[in-house]
Amino acid sequence: MGQKISITNSNNTQDSRFLSFLKRFSPQKPSLDKNMSPRTGMFAKLTAPSANKPNDFTRLISNSISFASTRTKEYLLFKDPEGKFQPSLQTLTQVFLMNYITQSVNLDLTDTFNCTAMTPEQRILLGADWVWAILKKPTKNPKIQIAVQVLHLPEREEAEERATAGKPISESIQMAQMESRNKNMYERIVDFCTSIGKDCYALFLFFGKRDDKVNIYGVLSNNFEAAVGKCDKIDRALIENFFKGSRYFHTPFGMMQTIFTKKTEEALTLMIKFS
Amino acid sequence: MTALLSSPQSCLHPLRRQFERIMAATQDVKGKGEGGDQNFDYMFKLLIIGNSSVGKTSFLFRYADDAFTSAFVSTVGIDFKVKTVYKNDKRIKLQIWDTAGQERYRTITTAYYRGAMGFILMYDITNEESFGAVQDWSTQIKTYSWDNAQVVLAGNKCDMEEERVVSVDSGRLLAEQLGFEFFETSAKDNINVKQTFERLVDLICDKMSESLDTDPAVTTGAPTAKLTDSAPPLQQPGCNC
Repeated sequence: MGQKISITNSNNTQDSRFLSFLKRFSPQKPSLDKNMSPRTGMFAKLTAPSANKPNDFTRLISNSISFASTRTKEYLLFKDPEGKFQPSLQTLTQVFLMNYITQSVNLDLTDTFNCTAMTPEQRILLGADWVWAILKKPTKNPKIQIAVQVLHLPEREEAEERATAGKPISESIQMAQMESRNKNMYERIVDFCTSIGKDCYALFLFFGKRDDKVNIYGVLSNNFEAAVGKCDKIDRALIENFFKGSRYFHTPFGMMQTIFTKKTEEALTLMIKFS
Repeated sequence: MTALLSSPQSCLHPLRRQFERIMAATQDVKGKGEGGDQNFDYMFKLLIIGNSSVGKTSFLFRYADDAFTSAFVSTVGIDFKVKTVYKNDKRIKLQIWDTAGQERYRTITTAYYRGAMGFILMYDITNEESFGAVQDWSTQIKTYSWDNAQVVLAGNKCDMEEERVVSVDSGRLLAEQLGFEFFETSAKDNINVKQTFERLVDLICDKMSESLDTDPAVTTGAPTAKLTDSAPPLQQPGCNC
């Protein structure tokens, strides 16, 4: 499950102390996860194990997530040699979602682990790009949720901001922005998850990070609200700080397994490498 | 509307203060972009509430987009759509909030009750439990909203007559007891959808004019035309199917 990687050392012990109160790692040791290479293409369906056991089910979900991550990774560093064609950041999010949804439909997962893409207004109001949910039977009410917010490399976000500056915004988007003006996007997703409870996780999904621009990483927690009061606000710097000094990056399988086996009210924070 | 908002805050009727707050918010929105119709006389914030799977989202989609799909997708948290209606030459912008019915979202949905001027409280005529929950939803409105909010009770899915478990009379009686207007509706067959919204808008306009008439502080800045000058006739509350 856990993938040991070279540690990004932080010399800033203050950071470590600061983050220690937020981190509540799962007591279980990351298990070995040798079969985590995602099955891709048409073989994904052919080689998928039948989901009779919870572990099989967990693996199907994580395989779908890994598959989407691997496919999205292929486009992270795309650059038009002529510099004319510039896909929007939203396109990368859509690539991920298209691949994930296709895979989960093929594997017949949607009745038990569904994925709801947010509307443009919801993305602003709730701060989430999509929400994964493990559904209870027979009500299909969510049992556990993971609200996902995609973060792109700062330079790409800045470039997009420049490109879209001055362009018309729809009325409903303006209204959503008005409604949410008092909080930043990081705070909004944390607020959303906190309002639901410990069974709702916020996952900040980094499409590339500063020291590794070609891979997808994540910080998942149901305890980000602990930061409120300890610091001024929840922002990108705070979330990126979680990567500093991290010994382990969980795999998607490890992430799902840890979530499934965690006690209900327990706080949990994980760092994940998705690709 | 400009005249309406000219008096000092201290003299304002609560209803008018409510409008002013909302209008102040919409003034901020104005002029920031060119994507939508920025010109309107009033803006009403409406909420659709009720148990999960009674058809709130379908109802809103039918009204705002004239679309319907039978696929059920549970709403996550909250969402909204905007629709402009016309009443006596006044443009009224409706900001219609679609709320998730599941209990786990209650904290986030009730946060949006504040400032709402009207509610559509919906149940499913084929689901007794959703009807039984109407009283609780009504209490939620009283708890989290303001006293003058108008409410219409809607018994949705009236196209499914064979599966009906809540009679029209039961719905009407409960609405009377709670002091709400009542319609049976079908988002699928487009029955009483527009009428429900129109009635809610009428009720809000009535309340607004009533407040203007009874509050001397308000009449000094009364608009030249009342929104209720030629109110449309009441719609048939029962389902036509």
